Amino acid sequence: MSPFVPRLASASGAASMILLSAGSAMVAAQSPTAPADLVIKNATVMTASHGTIQHGSVWLHNGKIAGVGTTVSAPAGATVIDATGKYVTPGIIDPHSHSALGDDVNEATSPVTPSMMMIDAFDNRDKALYQALAGGVTSELLLHGSANMIGGQAVVIKNKFGLSKEEMLFPNAPRSIKFASGENPKRVYGTRNQLPSTRMGNFEVMRQSFEDAKVYQREWDAYNERVAKGEKDVRPPHRDLKLEALADILRGKLLVQIHCYRADEFLTEEAIAKEYGFKIRAFHHALEMYKVGGKIAADGTGIATFTDWYGGKYEMWDGIPWNAVMSMREGVRVALKSDSNDHIRRLNQEAGKMVHYGGATEDEAITMVTLNPAWIMGIDDKTGSLDVGKDGDVVIWNMDPLSTYARAEKVYIDGDLFFDSSLPGFGTTHFSGVMHGSGFGAGEDDDDEGGN
Amino acid sequence: MPRAFSRGFAVRFGFSASLILGASASLLAQAPMVDITPPAGTIAITGGKVLTVSHGTIENGVVLIEGGKISAVGTAASVKVPKGSTVVDAKGMTVYPGIIDSETRLGLSEIASDRMTNDTVEPSDEILPQMHVYDAFHAESEHIPITRFNGITNAIVAPASSDTIPGQDSFIQLAGRDRDSMLMVKDVALAMNFGEEPKRNGRGEGGAAGGASRYPSTRMGEISQMRQALIDVQEYMARSGRPAGGEAGGAAPAAGRGGAGGGTSTLLRNEALVPYLKGEKPVVLGVYDGHDVETAMAFAQEFHLKVILSHVTRGQDVLDKIASYHVPVIVGPIFDLPTANERFDAVYSIPGELQKRGVKVILASYNVSNSRNLPYEAGFAVAYGLPYDEAMKAITLNAAEAFGMGDKLGSLDVGKIANVVIADGDPLDVRTSVKQVYINGVAIPMENRQTKLRDEYWPKK
Repeated sequence: MSPFVPRLASASGAASMILLSAGSAMVAAQSPTAPADLVIKNATVMTASHGTIQHGSVWLHNGKIAGVGTTVSAPAGATVIDATGKYVTPGIIDPHSHSALGDDVNEATSPVTPSMMMIDAFDNRDKALYQALAGGVTSELLLHGSANMIGGQAVVIKNKFGLSKEEMLFPNAPRSIKFASGENPKRVYGTRNQLPSTRMGNFEVMRQSFEDAKVYQREWDAYNERVAKGEKDVRPPHRDLKLEALADILRGKLLVQIHCYRADEFLTEEAIAKEYGFKIRAFHHALEMYKVGGKIAADGTGIATFTDWYGGKYEMWDGIPWNAVMSMREGVRVALKSDSNDHIRRLNQEAGKMVHYGGATEDEAITMVTLNPAWIMGIDDKTGSLDVGKDGDVVIWNMDPLSTYARAEKVYIDGDLFFDSSLPGFGTTHFSGVMHGSGFGAGEDDDDEGGN
Repeated sequence: MPRAFSRGFAVRFGFSASLILGASASLLAQAPMVDITPPAGTIAITGGKVLTVSHGTIENGVVLIEGGKISAVGTAASVKVPKGSTVVDAKGMTVYPGIIDSETRLGLSEIASDRMTNDTVEPSDEILPQMHVYDAFHAESEHIPITRFNGITNAIVAPASSDTIPGQDSFIQLAGRDRDSMLMVKDVALAMNFGEEPKRNGRGEGGAAGGASRYPSTRMGEISQMRQALIDVQEYMARSGRPAGGEAGGAAPAAGRGGAGGGTSTLLRNEALVPYLKGEKPVVLGVYDGHDVETAMAFAQEFHLKVILSHVTRGQDVLDKIASYHVPVIVGPIFDLPTANERFDAVYSIPGELQKRGVKVILASYNVSNSRNLPYEAGFAVAYGLPYDEAMKAITLNAAEAFGMGDKLGSLDVGKIANVVIADGDPLDVRTSVKQVYINGVAIPMENRQTKLRDEYWPKK
């Protein structure tokens, strides 16, 4: 057994028994190579939630963070890594990726496809996952593309490259659904002379969907009420996967992630959300948020934005690299994201640009690629910062991760080492066999707008 | 200008900052076009860490600019600042030569999704050396002031790579009152492309199938067609002495031009290729894969072309071979993705691996809106093995030399054009901000369309 057992056993009361059983369950779920106790010491520790600790230590116990500080009270038998001169951060989290979905990113055959489940396209051996892992990425939100006003439901993964598809799913993560707006849907359907081909059409499609969902929801609510009353022989309404997903949005069961660039469209989206009674979790891309940040901050919607992409199309023309910091100063919760198999490999450097463009502090910058994206994905209670009780998703960097020269040296997920750059070959610890090439987003010039 | 920016700038630059800003203010209405007639008098940039690129780093250095040229570079002790100079206090700053991006589409593409704002390549034929990008170069492009804001002062504008010979590149300065003052060399090099991209195999961008296939749809077709074209020019040259007026005078037989769209003059085509077949100007061979590198180089050697290799991001297997050619190599974009089952740093490490083998390495963005990120690409090359000084050369002096501008640009040396950048830190670090750019000795207004939007919406509180 692991060295901590005697210590726990010496403590009194039932609490330690509960801890023990929880602990052993964790051990069972872990790879046999992961030590029960791991201490990374003498590092510059960027916590993402409570500042940076010089000469700090991080203690991982059975896959969870058990201590963070200038000292930690790890047991004597713990595996110790001396990280003198190195930096430690939470794992990088990408709230907008289309990696590992092959060419199946867009079901661009109808502008409303909420029953599409991205997990059905998820290829866990895609090289993009490996390349992201080598860049310190421990979690990703794999989203439907932006062809449709209401796209499909996302997959939330832990980037345990080399494990099975099921083992890479983020346990109990909330469901997210992708919406789009603006040029992509109107281009995709407009070029076919279908609805929507204008922004008016875009939003009308959306409103009509929620009108339909309201009817569906009422039918099911009435049915459930009668069943609850104990009525016998009540026939359930027809179960429609599309309407069910839409009704789940109205019931607040899905985090709504909206691809949206322009300031006017943020306002329209918020108005529609209020009209139908749901919340928007985040605007993605959001290049014009700096124009209306104060208003959107009041609605509690975050953003997942590019650092400095602009100009690829008209709705990106007012994109400025100060957007993230300006929006943050207006009170918006800001995450940076890749939307690209290239950028996902270097989100830490993208965060570094925020020091340059607008004067973010290093702590603020690192939060944009860790804790804030975790919030957007609804997993900030489990990962995204170095806090006791959270998952052991940790990266050791050769230097300040915001520097151009930073390289991820070791990447831990749930306390288990998944990438070590000092190893020969790929540097992976759990992967064997053959990687697959990437489909969508494989090129350096891709942007999700894809839609086609 | 938001207080956060102006204050940091003014404090560090002392009194002289107001001079520069004052000068800039009068030009605001004219941006993005900037008159680069050198001002009278001397500009003295003092106290900074001077990266000369050609002869090391000078702590507490002085750079003097006079008449648009660099007139002195040295330590504070060795360079006397003339009385009446405009003194720019660069204490705590880094001073370095303007960055040169060795392949961009600046001025050829404004909004990528709108065809009407794109003139990147003529798709109607494969062999079009008579296409000159300067005929399309849009000097007023908003991307240009955005790019120079990060210290890029010069660039090679090249056509996109979907033709085997899409045309000739121009060497530009990223500021000027009009197009002509921005074009430093109109036809600086010939673009040639090999491998997958120029095929007429019915696949559109991204490899989407569906179009009709026509000649040349294979690598054999590409090479055969190019070989025929160059042989035609050799014959044309052998017959030289004939008046050039002989237009369609049979100089280039239509045979072998399978995909010819028609309508283009064989005379103009032949004339365009002459300087390259004489080896007077370089051809830039765009090629990604190792085996294509060998094919392209064999072809170039067959016609004694003066070569600059470009891309080679899937050339890991032939690094020694590439070194044996003794030609400059533009590597990149360094952010090209490794193929499946390659190590994650297979592309990042190429510049360092080539430099180790004695290759003169150059880096380029191959982009429009990402040209401003070229210094960071060089930083990535450093992180994965390229020595720092070589990375600086890769985006300055090596580029200037490869394109025949080594006596004018690329380093801080007396007599060179005063394209000088002052930044608040390491130019290759993403956290560094450029504070002032000089082009032809003129302090360029540090503003662009994006800074205007920034300033308009900067949070009040």
